[in-house]
Amino acid sequence: MPANWNDSQPIYWQLKERTVAMILDGTLAEGEALPSVRTVASEFQLNPITVSKSYQALVDDGLVEKRRGLGMFVCAGARSRLLESERTRFLEEEWPSMISRIEQLGLDPAGLLDAIKKKGN
Amino acid sequence: MSSIISARGLTKRYGRTIAVDNIDIDIPPGRIVGLIGPNGAGKTTALKAILGLATYDGELSVLGKNPSTQRAALMEEVCFIADVAVLPRWIRVHQLIEVTEKLHPGFSRERCMKYLGKTKVRLDHKVKQLSKGMVTLLHLAIVSAIDAKLLVLDEPTLGLDIIHRKDFHTRLLDDYLDEDRTILITTHQVEEVEHILTDLIFIKDGRIALESTMEDVQERFFSVEVEPDKISEARRLAPIYETRVRGGQHQFMYDGVDRDTLRNLGDTHIPRVADLFVAIMNGGES
Repeated sequence: MPANWNDSQPIYWQLKERTVAMILDGTLAEGEALPSVRTVASEFQLNPITVSKSYQALVDDGLVEKRRGLGMFVCAGARSRLLESERTRFLEEEWPSMISRIEQLGLDPAGLLDAIKKKGN
Repeated sequence: MSSIISARGLTKRYGRTIAVDNIDIDIPPGRIVGLIGPNGAGKTTALKAILGLATYDGELSVLGKNPSTQRAALMEEVCFIADVAVLPRWIRVHQLIEVTEKLHPGFSRERCMKYLGKTKVRLDHKVKQLSKGMVTLLHLAIVSAIDAKLLVLDEPTLGLDIIHRKDFHTRLLDDYLDEDRTILITTHQVEEVEHILTDLIFIKDGRIALESTMEDVQERFFSVEVEPDKISEARRLAPIYETRVRGGQHQFMYDGVDRDTLRNLGDTHIPRVADLFVAIMNGGES
């Protein structure tokens, strides 16, 4: 079943992002094996080099490790590190623009926080 | 290992017509190369030379062998599916397997049976009882069971419906491919194989119009939907192709222009191979 690739990023990058999302939401647990390059290639009808490149990018980011003869595994601590970098990215990139939007619309920050607290209950 | 296929100044003339005009090709092992060009561009002629089926001028080395003088030795390591149905209609599948087993030293009956087990083809079927799609899968099963380093496919999915085409590509990735096997494939259905390919060769009027890895293609070519007021600015950046799309927008294709520069003009995209093909085939003439 081919995935719906978009045309804004290279396929290997999108495949990497999918795997990252799976680690973040716990679909792929730490210590769990990633499907083999061959399996992914066949399932998504991608050439194996694209799949390997995407796995290599995960290795370079320290999220996945190669165990000789066994394949690729999600590193211990990968999820917490991803969460950490996602939080940093949110605070540095998304949050400032949200703040200016809140100011622009004249919303009351305390009221917004109350709404979040209510949702949490 | 060095190149699987290496050509220097490969040329093929038919009388006064030059079908293949002085081309250089290098294909390393383990690649899946799409040889893409319009009808009559020289694709099949180039394949014939590579397989030792036609004479040629220039230097050509396939798996370290000379196709014109070492064809028999070469055929032990190369498989080929032509765009024409070449299996005899009267033959039964088990007879075909027996013949191949006797003819080809690298053929494994066991592997062939395994691959056929994934299809609806049965041993007592005659080829003429099979649909076109099933014949193609039979052909692929036999070819995949041969321990060959290079598989050449000339329009392998021509005339197949979409389900059989998908099936063929899945079988190709599942059964045939492993790390040191190489595939050279010509096809018109580029959009269906583009993610399978590792390399592209565009051929136009017998010459190479593009030879690139897919990786490089995705970092080198961008298409941009340009708003009407930025068209003259877009033209100054030397696009390789310009076309008008719906809604009065113009789409420009660029080769090697920095993506951040292009973002000022409009939405940037990595072009589909089919669009890149149209741009390169039509560009340079306007």
